[in-house]
Amino acid sequence: MNLLLVEDDDGYAATLAEELRALDHAVTVAPDGMTALQAIDREPFDAAILDRMLPHMDGTAILRRLRESGKTLPVVMLSALGRSAEKVEGLEAGADDYVVKPTPAAELEARLKALVRGRQWTSTGGGSGDTICVGDITVSPTRFRAWRGERPLDLVKLELQLLAELARNAGTVLTRAMLIERVWGYDFEPTTNIVDVQIRALRRKLMADGEDDPIVTVRGVGYMLRD
Amino acid sequence: MPAPRSLRSLTLAFLLVFFLAVALTGFATYRATQRAIVELVDERIDALSDAVLSQTRPGDVAAIIGRINVITDERDTGNVGFMLTDAGGHWLGGNVRLARPLALGYSTLGRRDRITGLSAGRALVRDAGGGLTLTTIAETEPIDRENKARRRLYMLGFGSIVLIVLAGTALFGALVSRRIGEVRETARAIIDGDMQRRITVDPAGGAFAEQAATFNHMLDRIAELMRQISNVSNDIAHDMRTPLARLRGRLALIAARPDAAGLADEIGEAMDQCDALLAMFAATLRIAEVEGGDRRAGFASLDLGALVGEIGEMMTAVAAESGHELVLGRCAPVRIEGDRQLLSQALINLIENALRHTPPGATITLAVTRAETGAGAAAEIMVRDNGPGIAPGDRALALRRFGRLEPSRHNAGHGLGLPLVDAVARLHRGTLSLEDAAPGLRVTIRLPIAGG
Repeated sequence: MNLLLVEDDDGYAATLAEELRALDHAVTVAPDGMTALQAIDREPFDAAILDRMLPHMDGTAILRRLRESGKTLPVVMLSALGRSAEKVEGLEAGADDYVVKPTPAAELEARLKALVRGRQWTSTGGGSGDTICVGDITVSPTRFRAWRGERPLDLVKLELQLLAELARNAGTVLTRAMLIERVWGYDFEPTTNIVDVQIRALRRKLMADGEDDPIVTVRGVGYMLRD
Repeated sequence: MPAPRSLRSLTLAFLLVFFLAVALTGFATYRATQRAIVELVDERIDALSDAVLSQTRPGDVAAIIGRINVITDERDTGNVGFMLTDAGGHWLGGNVRLARPLALGYSTLGRRDRITGLSAGRALVRDAGGGLTLTTIAETEPIDRENKARRRLYMLGFGSIVLIVLAGTALFGALVSRRIGEVRETARAIIDGDMQRRITVDPAGGAFAEQAATFNHMLDRIAELMRQISNVSNDIAHDMRTPLARLRGRLALIAARPDAAGLADEIGEAMDQCDALLAMFAATLRIAEVEGGDRRAGFASLDLGALVGEIGEMMTAVAAESGHELVLGRCAPVRIEGDRQLLSQALINLIENALRHTPPGATITLAVTRAETGAGAAAEIMVRDNGPGIAPGDRALALRRFGRLEPSRHNAGHGLGLPLVDAVARLHRGTLSLEDAAPGLRVTIRLPIAGG
């Protein structure tokens, strides 16, 4: 991906840029809002990582300017603060995602990829209505039903929501933090591995008839449903 | 007498003095009226006796009796009486008889004189010449039971004054205590973390309005100072997190280098320590957010029993992984106003704490009950374990920030778990308590049910 990183702390910007480059992305660093807006005018980026607290023009102001000028590129907002009110503010200003510093590069990459994929995604995916089909897995979140092939799966509410989220993003890695946010709806991260435990339970039910494992574990990052 | 200090004793003293003054005034007025009537009656009987004696020769019994008859025929005799007696006190004529002898001059008559139709009166005894005495009597109570009526009138008049003053004092007291109550409520709200609360200032002005304005000004100043402090802590969070983030990133880059293969474990440990520090900042900021009280604005009605049931179900598998047993006790449906996220976090924190501080094989029990206390209905979330528990002396420390009981580094946790739960309980105007479950620890979050 071609990424723009807007961050005023040189050291952190350099480290994060290096980490992202190590993951095979092109990264342009802008230290402030004006430079960032000029860079976006000049070059088509796939996504931007925007620090919330910047000198002169703060992250939300840059974001508003960007959205007003019709730029729709995915933006992940980066903040040293973790207050829910500020998160809501960031999302309302037009951010697509909001993470608290320091997010590991792999986590950031996963979120950016999910966003970019989401933009390209057209509603031609398998299934009709709210039903999602991925490989031999079918999930209907509104009817609280799921099947593996012809076999109905006996899932509890949380497992069903987890499978639906994985299916909606099939082929994209979802990190634990993303799953906690989207499936559990929590604005905090428990210290215990509730995601891993839930994934294990889901896997057991998906593979009960000796089928292969449809969920890929990406070490240190998260989980992905094979598409 | 010591000067009264409290508002109540001041009011009582004032009322006592006032009642005494009213009683004295009433009595004095009554007496003055009474005296005026007596004087009027005295003048009248003096004039009447003159009318009898000035027209007759002294000692002329027949003439005097004749004169008496003329006068009593002329007037309404209902309230005037004459009596002529000789030197021996024997009745010679007139329209009344007196049972007792009266001295010369004015006397007061009452019921004991047994004169028909007279309950109170005055008598004038004069020398009519030749050893004769003429007694002239008039009623001081021209209307029956007038005195009683007058007394009643006084009671009514002065009584209503007393009532008006009593009501006024009560109203004044209520007004003052309402103002004081408002100040108290505002102070309470501020203590609860609602820094936006202010006292209403009466636009009409006055001492209370001035006091309210000054109080509000003080709160503005405190809020401003707190905002500055919170800015400082936000800045600290920002300034400390960014270099930590940098450090963590650098470590990650080093770990990825081929020549660092032998150091993977050590780098991993350093990164874990970075993460622990970052988690500490996150927890500190989270507590600050909860204590700020802003999240009360997002309170919604929720079923605590269902919430605890859901989390208990989810955490059962987590507990099983570390060899613990999580038992879901009775989760009664109790509706409260609250923040779902924070309550979930508090509960998960408590369960995680229990998992961390009890050996494998220990049992952790969750329950939600509705309790009726003297202060109203409350919802109680209980998390009980049968582990080693916390010694009574250490419980206060456990609630203090960074108050870790075990110095062991391997026992994860940053000592902010229980303080966060405490902050969440207080945000909901509830309490957190740690008790001995004999054996083990029982943690109870007690949340008041609004209007329950």
